[in-house]
Amino acid sequence: MSLRVVIAEDSFLMREGIATVIGLDERLHLVGTSGSYDELISVVDEQRPDVVITDIRMPPSQTDEGIRAANALRTQYPEIGVVVLSQYVEPAYAVRLFEDGSEGRAYLLKERIGDGDELSAAALRVSEGGTVVDPKVVDALMQDHSRTKSSVLDRLTEREQEVLEQMATGSSNGGIGEALFISARSVEKHINSIFTKFDLEQSTDTHRRVRAVLVYLTEGSDDS
Amino acid sequence: MSDVRVLIVDDQLPFREASRMVVELTDGFEVAGEAENGEAGVEMATELRPDLVLMDVQMPGIDGFETTRRIRELDDPPHVLMMSTHESGAFEEPALAAGAFAFVPKSAFSMDELEAAWANAHRDASA
Repeated sequence: MSLRVVIAEDSFLMREGIATVIGLDERLHLVGTSGSYDELISVVDEQRPDVVITDIRMPPSQTDEGIRAANALRTQYPEIGVVVLSQYVEPAYAVRLFEDGSEGRAYLLKERIGDGDELSAAALRVSEGGTVVDPKVVDALMQDHSRTKSSVLDRLTEREQEVLEQMATGSSNGGIGEALFISARSVEKHINSIFTKFDLEQSTDTHRRVRAVLVYLTEGSDDS
Repeated sequence: MSDVRVLIVDDQLPFREASRMVVELTDGFEVAGEAENGEAGVEMATELRPDLVLMDVQMPGIDGFETTRRIRELDDPPHVLMMSTHESGAFEEPALAAGAFAFVPKSAFSMDELEAAWANAHRDASA
């Protein structure tokens, strides 16, 4: 059965671009579109989709409607996954999106619309409760971090930082191993070390993973 | 008066489809063709003789700036409107230098924008 998707985007071209991506993927099915915060909430109430793909800046204020909607939906419909699309790399918005929990949330740049596969993959992942952070956002956070004088991230070795960077983009242990050319066992070792250094030894594995990524996002954007 | 014939040059299918929809929904405009890269864009501009080209900036192979330069070197060349997903003001100057009459971010492109851009292209051309 295909996932039911609602789009929230006030730009006609972007909205049609996203609709094309959905139309081309048989795993996704478009059930509604909206062009403002209020419209989005009303379409979601009506359609109860599996996934919402939303722009950040929409009417009425053209500031942070997408982030506010994602956070409001977490309370009202926690089962709905949300992919937030951002025109620019804005770490502060990413942190706001994930601060109350990163389950079922993705933060992607709009340029990913053009490469439909990445947008589709993010929609599928959030529908399963997963998290996706655009690699460019992760890069920006790392650069911000390199300008930060002190941070809990400094406790990590260079390799552990690389592993955490991969974790933030939603990679599995296998994927991290392939990306960094190290064994799955090494990945596990590094991740356990990250959990220890972040004092996350007591939580469940999924929760620790999410928390580690959140520490990374928050610390990385402190001095931005 | 016959419709304004538009060639769409963009390597990304979702944006080609979305641009096609904008053109088809705008009175007085029709799609003459779609090209997936700059090289094909130059060929199709030569063969189809469109009135207007919607040109993406970033493409593999020759980019939108170079493609625009080549198209503008044709005899009686079409007007070129450059577009990008990025809203960078940094694209405007090189777009104009390459021979485009304007640059618009894709997020701002719509039926109204197409009509306004075409009117501006004519006003500038006749000025």
